[in-house]
Amino acid sequence: MARPEAKTGAESESYHAAPGQAAIPDSAEIPPGWDYNPADWSQRLPIVGLALLGFGIAAYLALFQVGAIGDVWEPFFGNGSRTILTSEVSRLLPVSDAALGAAGYLADAVAGIMGGRARWRTMPWIVVLFGVAVGPLGAVSVLLVILQPVLYDAWCTLCLASAVVSVLMIGPAMDEVLASLQHVVGAARRGESAWRAFWGLAA
Amino acid sequence: VIAQLAAALVGVWITAAPGVLGYAGAARLLAVTLGPIAASLALIAAWETTRGLRWGNVAAGAVLILAPWLLPGAHWAAQISNVLAGALLLALSLLGGEVRGRHGGGWSALFREPERG
Repeated sequence: MARPEAKTGAESESYHAAPGQAAIPDSAEIPPGWDYNPADWSQRLPIVGLALLGFGIAAYLALFQVGAIGDVWEPFFGNGSRTILTSEVSRLLPVSDAALGAAGYLADAVAGIMGGRARWRTMPWIVVLFGVAVGPLGAVSVLLVILQPVLYDAWCTLCLASAVVSVLMIGPAMDEVLASLQHVVGAARRGESAWRAFWGLAA
Repeated sequence: VIAQLAAALVGVWITAAPGVLGYAGAARLLAVTLGPIAASLALIAAWETTRGLRWGNVAAGAVLILAPWLLPGAHWAAQISNVLAGALLLALSLLGGEVRGRHGGGWSALFREPERG
């Protein structure tokens, strides 16, 4: 299928942006049937930024949970953060929930930064891993938000902020996952190995 | 996008309503459960490739509109808030918002063989 090439100013500019290097137009890395590249840095870096912000919040809350910080910042809900962060749910697992969250955010950031601008087809496995890391982290955050008022009749400001961050990451991460899955399914439909396409190996 | 962001704000209102309006019991549980879910679905549906999640909020809105019949004993303020917020959520989610970009046929392209020409 021929792709209509509607070059924007930005694209034609970056075509000439790297003199001396082999000129690969951005449009060559746009998935078939798309009009932008979901693996472009402009698409991914904001998500990585959100992941690092979430990591910062979760790490701070974890430090309070292990006792490294004596008090926790809570501007709105009185004793709410303390109630939530020392609750039984937060200590269900051997590691505190905020510490797990911090690890999750770090995994998101690493999976978001790995690979180049064409990683939707060169490394589908990391894109899918990225989606798998981002999705459940957000789902667990929302579950924990619901548990705050239901079990403890309290709200924790920074926990809510962390949940918003993790949910905000899901939407922009999924377009890249979609492009990678389309690439793998497309390989299978052409009679090639979906397995090799998933790991980014030559057909 | 704007419709989904507005729907997210409706979700925040639903979550906050029991505290603001001062009601408790089953109506409060419904609100603090559905509210965060609705706000999250709307925030994810704000992006074009995941716009389909708005249908979850169509369902959530319908549940809230039916809440006075599901929870007949609840506080009147809860009933009014539920019906109004539910109707708003339903309308905003049905509205959806335009999808500008092309995404290779979207998620359905994974399950549907493309027509050969």
